[in-house]
Amino acid sequence: MNPFRAGLPWIAALLALALCLACGDSSPPAGGAERAGGRIVINFVTWKPNLPEVWQEALAGFHASHPGLAVRRQIGPHSSTAFHDLLTQKLKNRSREVDVFLMDVVWPPEFASAGWALPLDAYFPPRERAAFFPAAMEANTFAGKVYGAPFNIDTGMLFYRRDLLAARKWRPPETWPQLVEQARAVMADEAGAGRYFQGYAGQFKQYEGLVCDMLEFILSAGGRIMDPETGRCLLAEPRALKAVAFVREQLMGRVAPRGSLIYQEPESLALFVQGRALFLRSWPYAWQVSNDPQKSKVAGKVGMAPLPHFPGGQGRAALGGWQMGISAYSRHPEAAWAFIKYVTSRPVQKLFAIKGGRAPTRRDLYEDPEVLAAQPHLAEMGRSFAQAAARPRTPLYPALSRLLQVYFSRALCDPQADLPSLAQSACRQIDELTALSREARP
Amino acid sequence: MRPAARKAASLGGERVFAWGLLAPCLFFVALFAFYPIARSMFLSLYRIILGLPRLGDPFVGLANYLRLAQDPEAMLALANTCLFVAASTLLELGLGLIIALLMDQAVRGRSLLRAALLIPWAIPTVVTSQMWRFIMSDNYGLLNLALFGGDVAAYRAWLADPFWALAAVILADVWKTSSFAGLIILAGLQTIPAELHEAARIDGAGALRRFIHVTLPALRPALALALLFRTMDAFRVFDLVFVMTQGGPGNATNVLQFYGYQKMFAEGFLGYGAAVAVLVFALVMAVSLVYLVFFRRALFREAA
Repeated sequence: MNPFRAGLPWIAALLALALCLACGDSSPPAGGAERAGGRIVINFVTWKPNLPEVWQEALAGFHASHPGLAVRRQIGPHSSTAFHDLLTQKLKNRSREVDVFLMDVVWPPEFASAGWALPLDAYFPPRERAAFFPAAMEANTFAGKVYGAPFNIDTGMLFYRRDLLAARKWRPPETWPQLVEQARAVMADEAGAGRYFQGYAGQFKQYEGLVCDMLEFILSAGGRIMDPETGRCLLAEPRALKAVAFVREQLMGRVAPRGSLIYQEPESLALFVQGRALFLRSWPYAWQVSNDPQKSKVAGKVGMAPLPHFPGGQGRAALGGWQMGISAYSRHPEAAWAFIKYVTSRPVQKLFAIKGGRAPTRRDLYEDPEVLAAQPHLAEMGRSFAQAAARPRTPLYPALSRLLQVYFSRALCDPQADLPSLAQSACRQIDELTALSREARP
Repeated sequence: MRPAARKAASLGGERVFAWGLLAPCLFFVALFAFYPIARSMFLSLYRIILGLPRLGDPFVGLANYLRLAQDPEAMLALANTCLFVAASTLLELGLGLIIALLMDQAVRGRSLLRAALLIPWAIPTVVTSQMWRFIMSDNYGLLNLALFGGDVAAYRAWLADPFWALAAVILADVWKTSSFAGLIILAGLQTIPAELHEAARIDGAGALRRFIHVTLPALRPALALALLFRTMDAFRVFDLVFVMTQGGPGNATNVLQFYGYQKMFAEGFLGYGAAVAVLVFALVMAVSLVYLVFFRRALFREAA
């Protein structure tokens, strides 16, 4: 007999083992954790908090004031894209382990259209909503219903070198042409003194940030990306074209380095904190970093202002921030709402503002003396939040954003490209997306 | 039982035994290779949009492929992919040949040299990509320092230029995988009998002639194998683009695999993304078949 034949049972055994490994499910049975010690458990899908102590304090307050409820946090990754993947995976599977979740500002239409997010109109009356910044509420609204409550808020802002402007007795620029004029003058002086110096640092890489930066230019020229009613693409309209042409011809390679075409937030901020740029367009976090002597060569020399606009236009800043929503598959929507109501309440928003420096989403906190005493810079930020603009709202936002990124990046990196025809071709693709999402309207 | 019949019976037993031995391997190949390929082909015939579940998942036949043929972004990605494959494969084969010839020399510290040459290949691609992104940086990049020294005003933003960005991605791939091509070619070099060179030398052939008439013909199987491996691998380029450029600027470095990934995972167009994946599969398959026809002799010389 063949001696190897004795191996056959072993092969069979290995195969069986492989099958077990391939098909087995090692996750523990779910559902038993619904009540813990007689309390209703609210599963909260969130990312790792930047301010763990403040969250601890807020949660302790919630548990003290709501004895029947207990919050259990599920910590997801910090990157917005990775968090989106994790959360939507759970929602696609109709997970019972999700009650409350955080949404990035561009997600509510997608979550609404997919049926993952519960409409909150019954819990969240218009009178309550009016206390928040209008752009944030707009971002949470889709097809006439509201799907989230704003937890925190972010917008694009203009940071500038206060010392260099003050030396020339200049005020921060109110229009984009003024910004270019000031930048050119300071660049010429610095170059004369033999220093490498740029006028403007922004985010122009082919990624989501490019959409935010360009949206601000287009809106402040009186243009739009899409018609909010019909969803029709308006990039090929003269005002939108004018704004894109201005960035390409006046900023790119002139007052902004050509390298901006591959800058995200960290690269543009690095240029500014190294003392190599007069202006920086960034998000509120840049205030703390650029004023931290450990991280910045220009600490104490930085000013902050709302973004400029084109002559005759109005300054608009792209809205960012995180929203709280309730899963459509939650078994305890009332308890979930109690938690959201608590976290977005005035006292808790104030706690996050004073102890964490987090920009609150309630408008009246920007006039609160205690908040302003603890975080004086919030007054300036409040002016920017009031002029914030939501990005286009569509359930196919990732696809729309990518088309916009390709259009803007191509328009900016090629000085010879024919803008109207690039814009028309982008619009054809965008209008197709809009038609697709309209087809899916309930 | 007659001897012939006994032999046949034992042959049958051998066959069962052979399949038994192959079974685990076939099982895993089927699970991890055939099933995903078949599944992608199946998905590519449907319109599945994760963000719009209300549309259902209708069967659309070849509609995704027809769209693909008219999709300017996909066609640009296809062109970029082909450019990347052609340039990187040729450069890697050329450099690999030089590396193999160097490693084959009996110099002191040869084993150290061999190990050092393999380091780029051993580094994870994500790290390689990040490293090259830093080298190409407009502000603190080594490349600018090497070219322009302290003249900061002359520094260029390489990855911001559509042409140089694609060139940079190709360069990073060449840097990373030339030594792998070199390793395959070196294996081929070492199978060339010393007598052949000896005989050529006695016939009065110089180094160049010996290289062209002895080394190169004998290397054909190894070169063909390296070409096949590198081409198949180059078509699947993804991580370099993902880390270095995200497809920018202006889609100048977008390649099919990255485009398919964006469609599928970022945008949730599962059917369309699957069609892109199937296109890449078909391309790799087609090119491999062409190679097999052209280099059949070289690749299977031993077997024949």
